Amino acid sequence: MNQWLDERLHISRLNDKFLRKAFPVHHSFFLGEITLFSLIILILTGILLALSYEPSNSLVVNSFDPGSADKPNLIPAAYHSALKINAMPFGDMLRRIHHWTANIMVAAAVIHMMRVYFTGAFKKPREINWWVGMLLLIFTAFTAVTGYALPYDNYAYNTLKVIYSIAASLPWVGEWVSQAAFAGKFPGDGLIPRVYGYHIMLLPGILLALTAAHMLIMIKQKHTQPQYAKRIAYKKIVGVPLMTQQTPIMLALTLVFAGIIVLFSAFIPVHPVEFFGPPSTTPINNIKPDWYLLWVFGVLAIIPSFEIEILGGVINSEFVGAIVVPTLAILAMFAVPMLDRSRDNLYYAENPTNYPVRLGAGVAFMALLIVWSVAGYKPELISAGILSNTNANAVLWIATFLIPALSYFAVQAIVRGIRSLRESDARDRAAFQAADD
Amino acid sequence: MTRYKRQDPEITRRKFINVAMGTTAAVGGVSLLSTLGAANPIFRLTANKMPPQAGDILVHAQESKEGQPIRIADLGTQLVRAWPQGKDENGEPVIRKGDPNNILALYRFPKGQIVAPTNLDATIDGETVAYSDICTHAGCSVGDSDINAGEMKCPCHSGQYDPKRGCIVVGGPPPRALAQLPIKLEGDNLVVTGFFLTYPYPYATEAEWESIKKEVEAART
Repeated sequence: MNQWLDERLHISRLNDKFLRKAFPVHHSFFLGEITLFSLIILILTGILLALSYEPSNSLVVNSFDPGSADKPNLIPAAYHSALKINAMPFGDMLRRIHHWTANIMVAAAVIHMMRVYFTGAFKKPREINWWVGMLLLIFTAFTAVTGYALPYDNYAYNTLKVIYSIAASLPWVGEWVSQAAFAGKFPGDGLIPRVYGYHIMLLPGILLALTAAHMLIMIKQKHTQPQYAKRIAYKKIVGVPLMTQQTPIMLALTLVFAGIIVLFSAFIPVHPVEFFGPPSTTPINNIKPDWYLLWVFGVLAIIPSFEIEILGGVINSEFVGAIVVPTLAILAMFAVPMLDRSRDNLYYAENPTNYPVRLGAGVAFMALLIVWSVAGYKPELISAGILSNTNANAVLWIATFLIPALSYFAVQAIVRGIRSLRESDARDRAAFQAADD
Repeated sequence: MTRYKRQDPEITRRKFINVAMGTTAAVGGVSLLSTLGAANPIFRLTANKMPPQAGDILVHAQESKEGQPIRIADLGTQLVRAWPQGKDENGEPVIRKGDPNNILALYRFPKGQIVAPTNLDATIDGETVAYSDICTHAGCSVGDSDINAGEMKCPCHSGQYDPKRGCIVVGGPPPRALAQLPIKLEGDNLVVTGFFLTYPYPYATEAEWESIKKEVEAART
């Protein structure tokens, strides 16, 4: 059969080109794979959910609690279908798996990027793949956000309202952009069909295309080699081939990973739509976005209020906090490969402690995002009496500058410590060697 | 590489094809962009989407008693949410909740507690006051504060307002005070006497608010 296929599809060439791709043997190289497996699980569970979901915000009678004939209990069809999915055998489980996997996909992508950043794997020739990866991260976040709008409970409604108003806060074009993006004035009749279109067609399409590009470039350029490869065979590709050594490892990883997700989903509920209820005018106290957008939320919570009108366009705190600041953060991440001036191709993953400035900058950046995420808990910090209403903003703004700076210098100090230990080790070794001679 | 480039007075076939393809791609691209126009549906200002206006009565927004007219006795220092209820083109009563930004916040404080910049002429006896309940920052519905009693707090980005002082911003990112709605007592009903005194969410400028007011006036006559 191999020969039959080979004569038609040139399997042997595919084998040489792709299936023999060498995978480095190191656990940190599994992070990208976990992101990929998450995407696959999300697509599979997403298809199953889409089969039972009704993308419409038209009002229908709640079949679980129909009310009376003269005063029927009307709820949006999308919310109703979410309740029906919960009532299906394993329906709630399916939603939980989808939700948990989405969170894990973002987390795995973030840790994967941290690995790439700290080991210098974004350097020449892999700059393009860093940028493709950035796009993947951004679109993953968009996909996740449009996803938690779909159950159209009160939580989703409030989330959508904030996203709509963030889009509307763009100066000059905001109103048009937000109406074009969300099918008219909020909440228009076409709102849920529109978001559904984004979540199941547009964004997954973009994600799949970018993932394909990401992996093709990776296969073409090869993985960065772990340090041990330098000692084993200098300037040679070291690793196990995709077929047949890496495949069972991948399968095992997939199964373990899927098992963990199912366990999580079985015991930790996510987003109980019944609890939030259908869209209403009653605000949800202390509503928060998912953890990966908490930093944007935090910036909005501590930014002072202002509004400037320039040539008919309004620039306000919301635009600066929710669009300008995140854009700057994302641009900084996009710029990472351009800050590197090396002309040679990078073969070997670098030891982060040999690049203290890069290491410190990365840690400081993450510290900044963590400080802003904590700022997202401002109301809770005030309620708990840790901060007061008058000093909360000042304290959080000082922390915004101070903590990243402190973490930068702490990293430098630690790196220096590690280096001096390493040097004293080398001295000892040299001394012993001298004594042996 | 030769040092001399051949001078060809005539346009080459390659050049022609490249230019033609470029033009086609540009025209095609721009015309595809025009399909984006379909993304933005037409907006019709129907009675249920109009902002509260003179003559509307205020009815409860809370689910259990939605649509019941609000009585002065229902109000207190805790926020009560209300919808404006007006008449549609056939004269039938219509709750204006087609635009969720029409949700209102009602308070009744003991006499003397409500002070400037609240417009006292637009309150009932200087005791009962109505505001837009939509946060001017990101459009969430604002509730009673759990931090400072007597204040309002938006759950979305913790904007804070003081309903006794014209709902000015006392904390957080909102750019403007909540808009005050002028009301009076007519029999048992709370009746709206005009448009919001300042521009409410979602309008970004005074001019936008003026133009929607004109549209509403035009639709009424």
